Amino acid sequence: MKAPVLQADQLTKVYPPSRKGEAEFTAVDHISFVLKPGEILGLLGPNGAGKSTTIQMLIGNLTPTLGNIKYFGKDFRQNRTEVLNHITFASTYIKMPWRLTVMENLWVYALLYGLNRKTFVKRAQHFLGYFGVWEHKDKALNQLSASQITRVMLAKAFIPHPKIVLLDEPTASLDPEMAHEVRQFVTKQQREYGTSILYTSHNMDEVASVCDRVIFLKSGKIVAEDTPEKLAQSVSLTRMRLIVKDGLKRTARFAKEQGFASKIDGREIVINIEESLIAGFLACLADAKIEYTQISIDKPTLEDYFINQAKEGGNAK
Amino acid sequence: MLNKIFNHRVKALFMRHLYPLRRDFDLLSDMIYWPLIDTLTWGITGSWLTEESGSPTLVTAILMGLILWNIIWRSQSEVGRNLMDEIWNSNLSNLFSTPLKISEWLTAVLGLSVIKTLITLGIMVPAILILYAVNAFTLGWWLVPFFFLCSMTGWWVGLLGSGIVLRYGPKVQTIIWTLPGILLPFSAIYFPVDRLPFLVQKISMLVPTTYVLESMRAAVGGAPINPTYLYISFGLNVLYLTLAGWFFIRSFAYSKNLGLDRFL
Repeated sequence: MKAPVLQADQLTKVYPPSRKGEAEFTAVDHISFVLKPGEILGLLGPNGAGKSTTIQMLIGNLTPTLGNIKYFGKDFRQNRTEVLNHITFASTYIKMPWRLTVMENLWVYALLYGLNRKTFVKRAQHFLGYFGVWEHKDKALNQLSASQITRVMLAKAFIPHPKIVLLDEPTASLDPEMAHEVRQFVTKQQREYGTSILYTSHNMDEVASVCDRVIFLKSGKIVAEDTPEKLAQSVSLTRMRLIVKDGLKRTARFAKEQGFASKIDGREIVINIEESLIAGFLACLADAKIEYTQISIDKPTLEDYFINQAKEGGNAK
Repeated sequence: MLNKIFNHRVKALFMRHLYPLRRDFDLLSDMIYWPLIDTLTWGITGSWLTEESGSPTLVTAILMGLILWNIIWRSQSEVGRNLMDEIWNSNLSNLFSTPLKISEWLTAVLGLSVIKTLITLGIMVPAILILYAVNAFTLGWWLVPFFFLCSMTGWWVGLLGSGIVLRYGPKVQTIIWTLPGILLPFSAIYFPVDRLPFLVQKISMLVPTTYVLESMRAAVGGAPINPTYLYISFGLNVLYLTLAGWFFIRSFAYSKNLGLDRFL
């Protein structure tokens, strides 16, 4: 097995009280994880879970209270400049100087990574072209839309051909079509250049389609770490939708008696039930002479896992 | 050696702050418009005072004081303004997620302060010569240490202001523009230091620019310049620059402890 490109060990961030009398706040609590070469690792969790705090520590903009970060086997604190030459970062929430044009901004960042002008122009043309903003290259950043700025930020992150890219909600301001393009682009970078990517997003379908592995953070701690498929499978409840001809209220009562949560929506009832118990439940409905005209069963998704975990006492394995 | 100091990352920051000069009226007004307005105002005031007092060197002393003040102002402004510009653009977090070192950022802003000060002087000095027949170059090579010492003062004032912003956040950003103002009365920019109240004179002896301004007035009046004054100024500047640099670095570390993303 290849050595990880990033290794976070017991990473912890405790913020001091902002006012007298307030308690310290632990944003990230002794988390350890690795990013493997060529892997796309998703960092998931509800608001306040510690995702951004973790990313800020990983790019060196926030000093950890405890713990250690290693990139390519080297201590980050002691080799900051050397390792950051191979790492880039893009976030929907961080901007670039708005008075500079797209090309000026990108050239400044390319210079920070030591690129020469010829290589820069070639790559800028490639990436800006891919993201459909090449024709805006001479416009100041404040003349672009939020979506266009996000695409420029993505170009900024990939122009230096980094070994690791940290992407913080890269598709948050994009329309579905462009978000799809970005997802394809990210997986292409991984496939063709072996780029390792740490990815945060609130879009669960996106994470499921892009990430090889997911870390789920909650209250600053890692509560799960697996492939998106396995995490989704760990949600034991399946959603069964029934359109009931007669006896909607009786069905709800019956579900309640069996210990299943249900919700009536018009003529439809949605019952959260373990997949293995569906057949037995339907047989009981038949015995009770309750007729349904339509049935659909939704398998659990990563989003179900997310919602389950975000709620206190979620029943994930 | 120079290549190592002014490496590609320092060059990147030079580009980042020089590009907007081509189209940003805010920056141009700071560098050109206000110095020209000051030149006109103080030139007329100086000429009037020269006529009234019968002291022929008064207008020269005032305008030379103005030039030296602009060196101090531009040098401090470049340090503080560049930091604020990154904060206003939500770019600080972006910038320091790259291999850029804080020492390289400091090298770049100090270098930029020299470039922009020279641009301002390139406008002011000819304007003073044309409008008031005052030739700044009559001070000869003394201009070099004057420029350097005033720049050093501007740098430590800028570092002090920037350190305060990094520590307490953008809510105290006014400090960047108000802090240098405190030097105006204590440095005796437009008048001899002996015109200050006794206690204020004692304080002004601790301000490095006081010695530069006194030396300049001596030279304008035809008296010899006392090099000891310039040594004292240099010594004080080195001391304050070291302290301000230490405070800035400490404040940056403090800010990283709270997270640079608090400046978004």
